[in-house]
Amino acid sequence: MSELTLPPHILEKIQHALPAELLHDLRTPLGHVLGYSELLEEQAEEAGYEELLPYIRRIHAAGEQLLVMLNENFRSGPKPTE
Amino acid sequence: MTKILLVEDNEMNRDMLSRRLQRRGYEVIIAVDGQSGVDMGQTESPDIILMDMSLPVLDGWEATRCLKAGAETRSIPVIALTAHAMSSDREKALEAGCDEYDTKPIELTRLLGKIETLLAAKSPGKIKAP
Repeated sequence: MSELTLPPHILEKIQHALPAELLHDLRTPLGHVLGYSELLEEQAEEAGYEELLPYIRRIHAAGEQLLVMLNENFRSGPKPTE
Repeated sequence: MTKILLVEDNEMNRDMLSRRLQRRGYEVIIAVDGQSGVDMGQTESPDIILMDMSLPVLDGWEATRCLKAGAETRSIPVIALTAHAMSSDREKALEAGCDEYDTKPIELTRLLGKIETLLAAKSPGKIKAP
């Protein structure tokens, strides 16, 4: 049996496609990290916990970095057929 | 005080967004599925509705269609919220009758801008504090 080879542009599309459900399941907890860290930052600022702010901002920055990676490197693939 | 109906089945999304909106002076009422969203739209007369689209019982598209078909609820602006950042989702939401569309993760400043724009369009000339 001959080995199946795919043109590079097709291969690249397959490699970067995540199932829509998986992409959704990754974005949802990432949204929690971003949203709660923004909420924490606001509350820490108001309560005068200045020493906590750099750590909270690092958590937020890490979440944003992940979101940019997801958005730039993966596109939503087809939804599974039911 | 502006009353926002948040229709969202994910507990953390609900908690996070409702707290952030309340901190900005909005009254937030919650529905956890599409059918409750339609019911609360009728009984609570919210100023605006934030509608997640992937909902149990009745999904967000169907719930929006029901709200836009009701004489008492059709003028309430609906903003669709979805994690699927695809242009087809936007079109699908607008076709169902949603007035606006925003993607998760929520960028609060952007969402607040859309809320205030829709509220201003609903009551021209009336400047409404949250």
